[in-house]
Amino acid sequence: MGFILFLTCATSAYAKEYGDALVVGSISDARTLVPILASDSASADIVGVVFNALIKYDENLNLVGDLAESWEIEDGGRIIIFHLRKDVLWHDGHQFSAKDVEFTYQMLIDPDVPTPYSGDFERIERVELIDDYTIKIVYKEIFAPAFSSWTMPLMPRHILANEDLSQTEFSRNPIGTGPYKFKSWRTQEKIELVANADYFEHRPFINRYIYRVIPDQATLFLELQTKNVDLTGLSPLQYTRQTDTAKFKKYFRKFCLPSFGYTYLGYNLTDVRFKDKRVRQALNYAVDKNEIIQTVLLGLGRQSLGPFLPQSWAFNPQVKAMPFNLQRSRRLLKEAGWQDTDGDGWLDKNGQIFEFTIITNQGNEQRLKTAEVIQHRLAGVGIRVKIKVLEWSVFLAEFIDRRNFAAVLLGWGIGIEPDNFDIWHSSKTGEGEFNFISYKNEEVDRLLEEARGTFDRKRRKSCYHRIHEIIYDEQPYMFLYIADILSIVHSRFQEIVPAPIGIRYNLIDWWVPRAQQRYKK
Amino acid sequence: MKVSLIIGILIILILSVVAIFAPLICPYEPSAIDQDSLLMSPSSKHLMGTDTLGRDLLTRILYGGRISLSIGIIAVGIATVIGIILGSIAGFYGRWIDSLIMRFVDLMLCFPTFFLILAVVAILGPSIFNIMVIIGLTSWMGTARLIRAEILSLKEREFILAARAYGASPLRIILRHLIPNSIGPVLVSAILGIAHAVLIESGLSFLGLGVQPPIPSWGNILIEAKSTLGIAWWLALYPGLFILITILGFNLAGEGLRQKYE
Repeated sequence: MGFILFLTCATSAYAKEYGDALVVGSISDARTLVPILASDSASADIVGVVFNALIKYDENLNLVGDLAESWEIEDGGRIIIFHLRKDVLWHDGHQFSAKDVEFTYQMLIDPDVPTPYSGDFERIERVELIDDYTIKIVYKEIFAPAFSSWTMPLMPRHILANEDLSQTEFSRNPIGTGPYKFKSWRTQEKIELVANADYFEHRPFINRYIYRVIPDQATLFLELQTKNVDLTGLSPLQYTRQTDTAKFKKYFRKFCLPSFGYTYLGYNLTDVRFKDKRVRQALNYAVDKNEIIQTVLLGLGRQSLGPFLPQSWAFNPQVKAMPFNLQRSRRLLKEAGWQDTDGDGWLDKNGQIFEFTIITNQGNEQRLKTAEVIQHRLAGVGIRVKIKVLEWSVFLAEFIDRRNFAAVLLGWGIGIEPDNFDIWHSSKTGEGEFNFISYKNEEVDRLLEEARGTFDRKRRKSCYHRIHEIIYDEQPYMFLYIADILSIVHSRFQEIVPAPIGIRYNLIDWWVPRAQQRYKK
Repeated sequence: MKVSLIIGILIILILSVVAIFAPLICPYEPSAIDQDSLLMSPSSKHLMGTDTLGRDLLTRILYGGRISLSIGIIAVGIATVIGIILGSIAGFYGRWIDSLIMRFVDLMLCFPTFFLILAVVAILGPSIFNIMVIIGLTSWMGTARLIRAEILSLKEREFILAARAYGASPLRIILRHLIPNSIGPVLVSAILGIAHAVLIESGLSFLGLGVQPPIPSWGNILIEAKSTLGIAWWLALYPGLFILITILGFNLAGEGLRQKYE
């Protein structure tokens, strides 16, 4: 503690300087900048700096005010009254008010708006504008994720009131309240943002935020080496072996932080073969997760044991990993009717070979390698796997949204709030929604509803523990790993303080001494 | 002159034997993952080192050779058959048939082949079969032109006139007299074509649009090399070397043969 204090004192002794640009390197391009439609990490990244929500998570994962100055919670949590800041302007100069909050709510529950986030807001009975800066939200019943759901970024009513959100120009030219204003977007190339001088906290020190799309990890790494990129993620191999040189240590700082996401292999449960729980369990027994962690992550991560993260109170410590066990796997497959009857080395049933394709997104070498390990291991029990790597927007639009896949290798970034209704509830299987594997279990549905209907931590805990048990037993996903987040930032940026939430929470405080600034203007 | 032919043929022979008997030569499985030997540099245990999943590189290269070489040979087979058929029809019948076929050849030559292949693979999806066929269908034009030119000059010779005088059918003249007499240059172009096809396959696989994992091919082994160039030189060097030697072999043999025919 003393050390941190000392550091902050030392830096604040100098006046911070404005200027320079932060160039972020990303593998994938954003899809849409309409906040309530954005569900991929690239879009969320941009939305996160262009927009604000009523509340946000601080560096230690506590909920604090963002556009809301204060709030009152009444009637045991059924009613929330937010008092908004009065000094917030949209990027076009228009005043931000409670009407924008009401508008965003109306869009979220509009059945014509294909947002994956409607679930949390359908629980609201009514929204009342008390005055321009006070809004009262009344829920139908106690709804546990109610408060944290207001981390949803807010949209400007005066611009979008008469627009169709899935068609609007706004998705490529957004106007928010955030620390950075949108400037330009060249598809598959870069998105440029500029500092919002009127930002209500204070003007960000770094003038420009440039999001460069480089759809290949190796090329991205070369761009980092030539210092055309300032901040990006690293692969485990890059982190452990390629950034250890004196040059890297001089020019860059590396960070390794625990992540809030897990990687999984999801089965399309409308596929007859995957409807059988024994088959899914057999696949899980046939793949050695530790092998994946050691080979693909080089040990920088841990096994995922279900839909919750181990650091969460929702995680059930009684759930034990199904071990790597080929015999058990073969036995289960045999029970399910899959046997090698013609001696060609591949399992078959009714004359059909057990063969399926795993799809994953292009540019993520870790996922491709993971797919190769799974492919190798499943071949060991007689299942033939093909791998198809797809460009991100095609991947989402043609395959995920249309349910056009057998198995998908993907990751979830999950919040601190354990409510994962949108991923597992059987009502969430519509287009653009998150239960794209079509999982349906009545008990899980009921428990998900029960858990969000109370603030009683004990009761919620027991619900989530049971959900965890059921889902891990049913294996709708093969839960693979929780990879550490590895990132690297050019060392000219000052005041980066890693915290449980990551490094970018205090982006507006980052600054670069004038002498070291690379991008003038 | 002859030296290059002999060296070329020797290289081709050695590569073919090694590729055909890969399962007997290699001590490892090409897709056997070994978490204790990730990215090991060449040693007595792994002569060419291992890749990022601990798979033996030599094994993968030899198995990859089977794929790369067979794609090259079959693709050129397809191209040669198409080229001979169209070329001999054009050369023998002349007139509007000739014009039609030759304008079609010109049309095909207008496309930058590699990009045409990329586009087709993107539509049909990458698989070994598709790649063989697509490379075959886009590289027959040279053969067609060669055959046509040969036949144009051959068909005025006395022995063809004699065959016609005896009342031989056009098919018989083409198959028995014209093609056998013009096969030399075709053989040369086919051998050079294999080198070209191997290179295209490697390029496609390198871009992720060729042979799909876990089946190794020289091109897709190189994908990994790209991201590990600074720390694992062997992943780039050996597959690259094999591509180089193969192409050198076919080119030497092709050039040697050409000189022999001239």
